[in-house]
Amino acid sequence: MARAQDAHGTLRALAKYGEAILEAHLRNGNRVPDSDDNLGLIETLEHHRLVWRIGESEDLQLKKVLVQFLDHITESERRRYASAQVHILWQQLSELFQEYKEAKKRSALSDIDRLEGEIKECLADVIEDIRNATDAFATYINTGFAYITDLNLRIRENERVIERAGRLITLFESFRIRELAEQAGSDAFLKRLLLRHLPATLESSQKNLSYALNQLRKMLVRMREDQRLSRMVGAFEAHFINNRGFEPAIDHLDLRHVPEFLNTVAPFQIKGFGDIYDSSDDLELIEIAAKARTVPVEIEDEPIPDDVNTVNFDVAGETEVEDDDPVEEAIEELIKLVVDGALGERTILASEALTSTGLGIDKADWLQAIVSEIESLPDGDQRHIEVVYHQIPHRVYPDNVMVSDLTLRHSNAG
Amino acid sequence: MSSPLFERTVTALLQERVICEVSDDELYNYLLLPGNQDAVNRFLGQINRTLRQTSAHDAFVCAYLDTSDADTKEAIRHQFRDVANNLEAFVQFLRLVMMLEANDRPILPGDKLSEGAILDRIAAAPALESKLRSLAEKKVFHTKRADSAGQIRAVLSSLEKMGYLKPVGTSGSLFRATGRWSWLYDAMTFIQTHEGIQGSDEADSEQMRLH
Repeated sequence: MARAQDAHGTLRALAKYGEAILEAHLRNGNRVPDSDDNLGLIETLEHHRLVWRIGESEDLQLKKVLVQFLDHITESERRRYASAQVHILWQQLSELFQEYKEAKKRSALSDIDRLEGEIKECLADVIEDIRNATDAFATYINTGFAYITDLNLRIRENERVIERAGRLITLFESFRIRELAEQAGSDAFLKRLLLRHLPATLESSQKNLSYALNQLRKMLVRMREDQRLSRMVGAFEAHFINNRGFEPAIDHLDLRHVPEFLNTVAPFQIKGFGDIYDSSDDLELIEIAAKARTVPVEIEDEPIPDDVNTVNFDVAGETEVEDDDPVEEAIEELIKLVVDGALGERTILASEALTSTGLGIDKADWLQAIVSEIESLPDGDQRHIEVVYHQIPHRVYPDNVMVSDLTLRHSNAG
Repeated sequence: MSSPLFERTVTALLQERVICEVSDDELYNYLLLPGNQDAVNRFLGQINRTLRQTSAHDAFVCAYLDTSDADTKEAIRHQFRDVANNLEAFVQFLRLVMMLEANDRPILPGDKLSEGAILDRIAAAPALESKLRSLAEKKVFHTKRADSAGQIRAVLSSLEKMGYLKPVGTSGSLFRATGRWSWLYDAMTFIQTHEGIQGSDEADSEQMRLH
């Protein structure tokens, strides 16, 4: 009783998780990914001993008994071995025709009836199996053997499938439909099967099979190239690990043996001038030139508004504090020193005064600023200061002089 | 009468671009037609250049016709030096992606790379974090960022700048591999042969013979 209950439980579990199990069987190479989403499914399948796995980190695999059952219900087993099945059926068919011929010779009517029925059934099976066999190859192409993760195994499986497709093509080519059709006698249905349905199925299957074979071969070439690249990356990785700091030696490359596709060019600029010599390009060039201007348009060009909404006047008595200018302060101090007579009879060089201030101003600017400040002094003060210009006439324009320094001293003239 | 596609194609080729379906589909389709290939080749031939395809036939490049000139030789050497100097970093990147994808096959033109997906997988496999860190220390991918997200971004944007990846959409986090990978594999194949670097299976069989 307990056994029956277990069996019921297993069947219920299969029904409950039917979709996920089928997905694993048909699209995932019978593997059940070990993820949180599959927690319930995995627990149930483990409970009913329908999955196995080697390591904890590996995905679970459906057990053989379940896979066989799934093969049976999805007919994938039949498809997989359809080519062998077609071969067996074809032999059966040939034997049936032989018997049919014998029966007709002896005029054994009941046998003729029975054999006609059997031939029809057998032929229908052949047609069905031919279709199944070719459909199976389409599945391989669609999945690209993605359910096999290891590239080597995938290549091996691809090679096996190509071999199987090749065998099937040879088998199809060996069918002698005409010969069988001649033996079909007067049965219209049998003739229709042999002369119309079977050749049509064969023709479309052969066409599909040739296409599949071509695709499978392309896939195989691609996989082998992937394998080569993968091995090459692995080889370089190992080489870099074993030879620290390795760099391929480029300097001794013999460029006579560089493959052409590796001999790529250095950048080569293609530039030309705008054709200012052809008047037909003038308009276009003018437009380009106008847009090429980088200096902003003069402010005077901006339209001046005729009136304004409001005008703000300065508030009476309002003052704005300006930052002190250290250069101006230093010059004022220097001039005050000279005007007040604090230097006595001594003189002061403007360049030395600049050095003592530590200001980063250019010497020419400094001298110019001193002269401007002195010129802006009231006459009374100006009379108390004497300026000696250190100057030489300009080499090219002798009327001009080049001032290199100023000597300042207090003057008693005032 | 000049043809815009011809001009764009020739200019791109002379600018050292690798033309493939991902990087410039319009120019690539233009070059697929034998008549257009002839026209481009006739033009390039006059300036000592020619049109070539990578060995996987998925990208076009411009090559020198005659390599005997010293400047030409130096230009070719320069190209190789670029590959040689950064080869270790590229190999590490390829290996990392193969590990992340749990796939035996390296990146191929057209493959999609998602910054988010890479980050998710690295978060799920902390052992790969150290590989990413080591990659981010390489000169070609160098970044000061210490977090995985910043390092992945730095690596992917370096590859984009070098023309190995092309962004898809506007997110800036999804890329497609270009035909430049095919050129790199050709260069690697050449270096492997030239330097006598044995593949893992060849090395194994060598070991077998020794024992």
